[in-house]
Amino acid sequence: MTVALQQLVNGLTVGSFYALIALGYTMVYGIIRLINFAHGDIYAVGAFLGLSTYGLLRLLHVDNPILTTLLGLVVSMGCTGLLGMLVYRVAYRPLLHARLSILISAIGASLTLEYGLFLIYSPSFLVYPHLFDTPGMSLGDISVSGLQIIIFVSGLVLMAALYLIVHRTKIGMAMRALAINQDAARLMGIDVNRVVALTFFLGSTLAAFAGVLTGLYYSQISFLMGFLIGLKAFTAAVLGGIGNIPGAVVGGFLLGVLEGLAAGYFSSRWKDVVAFGILIVILVVRPRGLLGERVVERM
Amino acid sequence: MRKWCAVVAVLALLVPLTALGAGAQGATIKIGVPVPLSGGNAKMGDDISKAATLAIEEWNAKGGVLGRKLEIMTFDDACDAQQSVTAAHKLVDAGVVAVAGGYCSSAAIPASAVYHDSGVAFVADASSNPKLTDQGFENVFRVIGRDDQQGPYAAGFMTKTLKAHRVAIIHDNTVYAKGLADATKAALSGKPGVQVVFFDAITPGEKDFSAVLTKVKSLKPDVTYFTGYYPEGGLLAKQFKDLGVSGKFMAGDANNDPTFVTEAGAAAEGDFVTSTPLPQDLGTAKAFVDRYKKRFNQDPGPYSALEYDAVNIVINAIQRAHSTDRAAIIKAIAATKGYKGATGSIGFDKKGDRTTILYIPYIIKGGKFTPYNVSS
Amino acid sequence: MNALGNRWVRGALVVAVIVVALGLPIVGTPYLIDVGTLVLVYIMLGLGLNVVVGYAGLLDLGYAAFFAIGAYTTGILMDDAHLAFWWTLPVAACFTALSGVVIGTPTLRLRSDYLAIVTLGFGEIVRIAATNLTFTGGPEGLYGIAHPTIGGFVLRSPQALYFLGLAFVLVVLAGSYNLARSRLGRAWLAIREDEAAAQAAGIYPVHSKLMAYVLGAVFAGAAGSFFAVKLTAINPSSFTFIQSVTILMVIILGGMGSLPGVILAAAVIVVLPEVLRAFDQVRMFAFGIGLIILMLVRPQGLWPSRIGQIERRAVAVSEASAAAGVAADAAATTE
Repeated sequence: MTVALQQLVNGLTVGSFYALIALGYTMVYGIIRLINFAHGDIYAVGAFLGLSTYGLLRLLHVDNPILTTLLGLVVSMGCTGLLGMLVYRVAYRPLLHARLSILISAIGASLTLEYGLFLIYSPSFLVYPHLFDTPGMSLGDISVSGLQIIIFVSGLVLMAALYLIVHRTKIGMAMRALAINQDAARLMGIDVNRVVALTFFLGSTLAAFAGVLTGLYYSQISFLMGFLIGLKAFTAAVLGGIGNIPGAVVGGFLLGVLEGLAAGYFSSRWKDVVAFGILIVILVVRPRGLLGERVVERM
Repeated sequence: MRKWCAVVAVLALLVPLTALGAGAQGATIKIGVPVPLSGGNAKMGDDISKAATLAIEEWNAKGGVLGRKLEIMTFDDACDAQQSVTAAHKLVDAGVVAVAGGYCSSAAIPASAVYHDSGVAFVADASSNPKLTDQGFENVFRVIGRDDQQGPYAAGFMTKTLKAHRVAIIHDNTVYAKGLADATKAALSGKPGVQVVFFDAITPGEKDFSAVLTKVKSLKPDVTYFTGYYPEGGLLAKQFKDLGVSGKFMAGDANNDPTFVTEAGAAAEGDFVTSTPLPQDLGTAKAFVDRYKKRFNQDPGPYSALEYDAVNIVINAIQRAHSTDRAAIIKAIAATKGYKGATGSIGFDKKGDRTTILYIPYIIKGGKFTPYNVSS
Repeated sequence: MNALGNRWVRGALVVAVIVVALGLPIVGTPYLIDVGTLVLVYIMLGLGLNVVVGYAGLLDLGYAAFFAIGAYTTGILMDDAHLAFWWTLPVAACFTALSGVVIGTPTLRLRSDYLAIVTLGFGEIVRIAATNLTFTGGPEGLYGIAHPTIGGFVLRSPQALYFLGLAFVLVVLAGSYNLARSRLGRAWLAIREDEAAAQAAGIYPVHSKLMAYVLGAVFAGAAGSFFAVKLTAINPSSFTFIQSVTILMVIILGGMGSLPGVILAAAVIVVLPEVLRAFDQVRMFAFGIGLIILMLVRPQGLWPSRIGQIERRAVAVSEASAAAGVAADAAATTE
């Protein structure tokens, strides 16, 4: 029983990261039907910018761990958000009507970001300062670290904030309108480019948040760190129903927990097979994902 | 019309450009150095190519060999089978007299077939999978030990020194890690009272291994041995302590990198690593370490000294063979005996494996890899 | 771009490609021939995926799985059963076709984007299984796969392997050319343009899609068989998601549905990173930027198919009229 609970804690931690990144995939997909291959790398950029901010603050003799972390998050999220908009402006906007060409452009953007980090920072693994390495609280035989709780709670808060932005503000309404019919939205006076750019900004911000927390929690970052988790987060977004915000969150947590259970009770080597197998079965049984709404097919 | 011009231009540009660099045979003697320069292992490739650079610079400062200057040709194999074969063809075409390098076994083994077909000597630096030399190619040598030598060593250390009865083995499903894990498991299975309670792989590139470690924890091991590479090793060491798994954490030689400790932080304290001795801990390598630091302003990597020796053995063989003929060089390398390298005395057996190979245990103390005194 | 100039340039290019293809093994160094052989592998893969994506309009992100199944079938049969290379080909074709049916039957009813992720998952499952199973050699894969023989002649040299690859490519090329013009090819075109209308005209979409999927899989399997004997060693790292994406790049870069485009793009995808090898550290960075620029300058691909161009024009017109329709509706509601 304790093992099962521990696996649940593990799964929710991983799932928080999946969910935060999956939101970026799902929002962009919902609006412009693009699988944004570069999104995982945006997450990596966020982690590196956070590390740079820490380095800069140390030079300025700002040592308070909470202050530096907050500043690191804000700077990284802001800059990465702008970078996300830049990627959209340069690599995607001119190709919005070329559905497959934009996919190649996205792969190009992904490689450019990855190897940009490689050239600017380092080919090797970089290490975050160990600021919050508090020993795990032990509830019986289950260990939960303070950082795990922070990741889980702050992740949920951000996801809720995003939900409110999309469903309660005017700009959110514009996003939803765009998702339903771009031409109609344009005719209603919505500035399509501005709204899509803002979507990229929001998605990138959440990815950067996940990136900085990855650095703090796992301590290790590298220029290729976004690839695998990007793939998983995309899977999570589809699992929950792509284009659907609560779906991405549910999909993220579900995938994290499923992987944990597969590794814990079956075999770690086969856990991705289990995860993808379940994904395939769910899609065959429920083709729109768990919470997906009906979306009109567009090629 | 413009479209066709563009298409023709692209084709016309591509053809001569590939030819470029393939030709141009100069008076220098070329030695090939295939290493990963892109992808996750790029750092190791960089360390290795620096050591090769140092080796030839020293020879050239003394006037080269056979009155000719030396040159290394570094090519990216990306630790990938297909790319390493292409790089191997390119090196052979470029007229290298021998090849010294290679990091990932998964890249070195397919490439070794190309070198074999072209009759070029291949002195592997860090590829330790047994299959490399078990193929029976007379042109393949290696200066690193075999995984099935390190495996029994690690097994002996766990059972004799650490008195382990329950052992968990974690690999990462790469050629090297699986080979070392299999060899360790095989060596343990012969020992009475010792049980391998866990044997499974993690996925390299992931960061959260708590699910696997939670399972390991429930099995209450005395020693957990990780046979993969340091990026995951550091993460495992940290999460191992965070979850409070019982027993000692121990890792294979690919974890012998300072990043292992910086990643894990305080959690790495008291962990063990089995490895060939670091250059810094070898009396024979002191001069090499000093010169490397002076030249590149950084510490050598875990495989730098081995590469330095590999390149020197090739040059030494050229000197003894008095020829740059590829076949003559293979013969001369095979005849190497008692060569005093930075990593100790080097000679090769019939398969091309190094005859004397030394492993020592390291313990992490005060954030540093410290040789562990077994008798204490 | 008048018709005559077009025909002349086209003819000249075809001649140029033939000259390069035949001249390379004669004048090229082994390295160049090896690069050329790799181009042939990607042409085969590109042509196969072109059937799935270009003809039938099904987005596939796990195409490397079929490539792997072909390579492993040949590798295992030659290593363990000591079968001759030529006998492994029909077996590989059967296995890949079967796996195409198994994964295609339940999933082809899905929307194309979900199909993309299902195929991605399938690709990963195959790769992980190859890594974990013992009869596939685990992470080490298979070694010492024999060279193919014709009569008593062993195809060992880079030249011989190149010509073998060329023969494969010609067969696959002829196959795809004829497919596009067959009854099935026209059915695919109809489904891709308007599935409902095609269905109304008596085409059974799932059946036609499955055929595309299976044929594409068989092409990849043949490419895999060739790849196994070319490299003589295969391991799971050759069949990653990145490999699937690279093959997809070949057909999009070339221009969807276009056979000359596939050939050209396969050359670019293989040769460009080799050219950039000289730049070592900035190699992949430059490749990424190059892809973006290529797409911005030529979003329709290097050599788009003529059918594709006509379609695009039609789509543009229909989109414009749809927009006009919406505008009219909007105007009507504001009145």
